[in-house]
Amino acid sequence: MSTQQELHIKQTVRGFLLSSINVPGLKDEENLFEMGLVNSLFAVQLMTFIEKTFSLEVETEDLDIDNFKSLNATTQFVMRKTGNQSL
Amino acid sequence: MQQLTEQQEARYKEFKEFVASNVAPYAEQWDREQMVPDLALSLMAQAGYFGATVPLDLGGQGWDVVTFGLLNDAFGSESSALTGFVTVQAMVSTILLKWSTSEQKRKWLPPIAKGDTIAAFALTEPEAGSDIQSVSTELRPEGQHFVLNGHKKWISCSTKASMFLVFGKLRNQAVVCIVPREARGVSVKPIVDLMGFRGAGLAEVLLHNVEVDPDNIVGKPGFGLSHIAPVGLQFGRISTACSALGLLRGCLEESISYAAERRIGNRTIGDIGMVRSLIARMGTSHEAASLLCYHACKAHDDNLPTAFERTLMAKYFTSQAAVSAASDAVQIRGASGCHGSSRVSRYYRDAKIMEIIEGTTQIHESILGKILVDQVQRLK
Repeated sequence: MSTQQELHIKQTVRGFLLSSINVPGLKDEENLFEMGLVNSLFAVQLMTFIEKTFSLEVETEDLDIDNFKSLNATTQFVMRKTGNQSL
Repeated sequence: MQQLTEQQEARYKEFKEFVASNVAPYAEQWDREQMVPDLALSLMAQAGYFGATVPLDLGGQGWDVVTFGLLNDAFGSESSALTGFVTVQAMVSTILLKWSTSEQKRKWLPPIAKGDTIAAFALTEPEAGSDIQSVSTELRPEGQHFVLNGHKKWISCSTKASMFLVFGKLRNQAVVCIVPREARGVSVKPIVDLMGFRGAGLAEVLLHNVEVDPDNIVGKPGFGLSHIAPVGLQFGRISTACSALGLLRGCLEESISYAAERRIGNRTIGDIGMVRSLIARMGTSHEAASLLCYHACKAHDDNLPTAFERTLMAKYFTSQAAVSAASDAVQIRGASGCHGSSRVSRYYRDAKIMEIIEGTTQIHESILGKILVDQVQRLK
């Protein structure tokens, strides 16, 4: 269940990332910020996207670059916020 | 704007009636005196305009962003200075709503929404304008509190503000804090003789060894410029775009009226092809800008990530269209449009400011260009 859910979240986030940044071969662990792929506007866009898509709210305590630094990190963050645990 | 609901239409009508009664007769005087009187702000506060986007349970109106855009459009047609106040209250409120603690929300949002507290957004510095990463205002820990030092400039609403949302650095991490006006070490130096926005209360804000309580830190250090400021700046762009739309509408209405009435010999100037061309261009720009502004506001109401680029586009296009329309409106008016007391000369001066505040036209081009190029994968 969680694995399926995780896969769905990852595919959804990947779709959004690839529609916004020009890195066709984006790897799951690639650090978006360290690679200079995104700017602060995108950081807020990503936040808005996951809030809207997964019906969650990014709160002050969630402000941690480790939650959004990569596709995997964002997926795990959404999993936690939506009450799913990775297997 | 387009595709409005009945409620949005009704509110837009109410906003325009308020502006016709309480703003239009005095806007020229406020511009000349470089000051908006407290009474005008008090009337706006009573009407709930400073709490437009604040939820009902925190004392605001809880209006959607489309309605907020209409409010700015209505005021923009008469007083860019007053839209400055609406803009900044929304920028600060939006940040507090998103990132402050429940205690901070309860303490600050109701008085801002009611107009008892006028807030200012203290980000820009003499050496940090469009490049906000360069802010040098510094917060350092000292005992149980922090000490703030810095110099902010071009800060709207400051002459009337009783609280400042200040952006700075703490151990080189971007941080945001609330600073009450009465705090020791805060001084405000009004900026006079601006070309436009002359009643918007712009000032320099000097912060000298200001003691900041840890309870007044907003959000988390390290995210002040990446996640906190953009939320407010986004509302600033929406507000500026819609205010420029109102100014553009004002130019159009003024030009149409004048063209229909002003006679040269046995015909009106509206019969002259070259004047018609200017008005046709103005009317078409207004229609296009109106659609861009509506779609940007609606994208926000729908919480869409595209709201950011749509807002950039709306601000980018509308501010330039307003500058062009104001120039043409003065041209149509001729000599009478060149006098400082004319509505169109005020439009001309205010419009140029719209192209600079909340990110210059060139900054918008740079950001938008990158966003669009980075979307290349969508083409495949």
